[in-house]
Amino acid sequence: MAESTWLKSRVRIVGGSLLAGVAIGVVGLLGGLLHYELQTVTTKLFAVGALVFGFGLLGWSGSVLLGRSIETVHRHLDRESDWTEASSRRAMARVAGFGGGIMGAVTVVGQAIESLI
Amino acid sequence: MASKWFVVKRLLLLIPVLIGISTVVFAILHLGGNDPAAVMAGQGASQEQIETIRTELGFDDPIWVQYTRFLSDVSQFDFGESYVLKPGQPVWDSILVDKLPVTIELAIYGQLFGVLLGVPLGVLSAIKQNSLTDHITRIGALAGISVPIFWSGPLLIILFANILGMLPASSRIDTQYFIEGPWVFMGNELPLTGLMTIDTLLLGNIDAFFSAVEHLLLPAAVMGIYSMALISRMMRSSMLEVVRQDYIRTARAKGQGQKITMLKHGLKNAFIPVITVIGIQFGTMLGGAVLTETVFGFSGLGVILVNAIQAGDYPVVQAAVLVFAMLFTLVNLTVDITYSYLDPRIQQ
Repeated sequence: MAESTWLKSRVRIVGGSLLAGVAIGVVGLLGGLLHYELQTVTTKLFAVGALVFGFGLLGWSGSVLLGRSIETVHRHLDRESDWTEASSRRAMARVAGFGGGIMGAVTVVGQAIESLI
Repeated sequence: MASKWFVVKRLLLLIPVLIGISTVVFAILHLGGNDPAAVMAGQGASQEQIETIRTELGFDDPIWVQYTRFLSDVSQFDFGESYVLKPGQPVWDSILVDKLPVTIELAIYGQLFGVLLGVPLGVLSAIKQNSLTDHITRIGALAGISVPIFWSGPLLIILFANILGMLPASSRIDTQYFIEGPWVFMGNELPLTGLMTIDTLLLGNIDAFFSAVEHLLLPAAVMGIYSMALISRMMRSSMLEVVRQDYIRTARAKGQGQKITMLKHGLKNAFIPVITVIGIQFGTMLGGAVLTETVFGFSGLGVILVNAIQAGDYPVVQAAVLVFAMLFTLVNLTVDITYSYLDPRIQQ
């Protein structure tokens, strides 16, 4: 029961942003095709998605690895910061999910369009 | 000591860190306007030659194919071949293996400088709170945090090399010394480490060792100033927090002397947040290495990275950034393990 709640909350965090990323990826790809060639659009859009995904993944793992230490440093240096490891981890998971969504959408839709052409 | 599971968990976390870094590097290089095939072909190349290179290296494959191939190669430590700096040569064997020890040595000595000065200054400042010593140390720490490397480097060169003539301003060792391996240990020939101070000792050349240390003093000081300032500030704040704890009061009430109480009970506990700063600072050190190496004429990973970016040598850029990231994460893993040794509650 507890495990299912744990999993649900994580799926909700990543899943929502993943779907948003997929939507943005599809819209961006179709919109880009109005002005550029398929390969140019897929390359640039996939790279943007990869940048967001990589940044999110790096931020997430960085938060898990160093988050508590950074909290301690903030406390000791008397920095009035609301930054917490948990909030950073959740935010970065959303960012990574969003980037992953764009990458996934570009890969699937790009391949589909390529096979049609 | 850190439990096995704790270490394994930390090691597993390195995987997403490295995937994240690789992905960011891959994305940035593909978002840039340069065409790697055109860079490789050179200025006078025809469009046909560029297209041939593009096909041979797979640059005309769909980007998701290139991405998975890139991740697969990186996971096997295959960083490809250099396009421009050493055309056709493997990046790891012909470039990084030589340059990495230069940067590591610089970062280690910079960090040593920061720790060896920062910790005693922080403790002194805390013990003599609100005294003249404390004020001077705090002003010094503030100045150290505020001074950028590109300013402190030339300034120290002017003072110690040009005006006082005490220390050399560039290179890793005097030109009269020639350090070349292998070194012999118990009849076996072993390769040198590439760390000049260690290699001179391994070869038993004490004069060369002192020359290498002399050449490292200024760059290490430049790299360590910021670290020293931050560590001393952190140490002071941490010590002040620790000295107010009940266990310190109890030790004093039982008749233990102030110095022993501070060293035995205070220092170890005050070190916990400082260890964190040392780990995080290592990343700043590596970033600072780019500037320090340039200012002091060291041919390390930082200089290679800048040259590779300017030349558009993508495999070298990718490899150098990944190596920097790996170093940073490994240092932080060590810090985590030390942290859990100092405070076993961390493991839970």
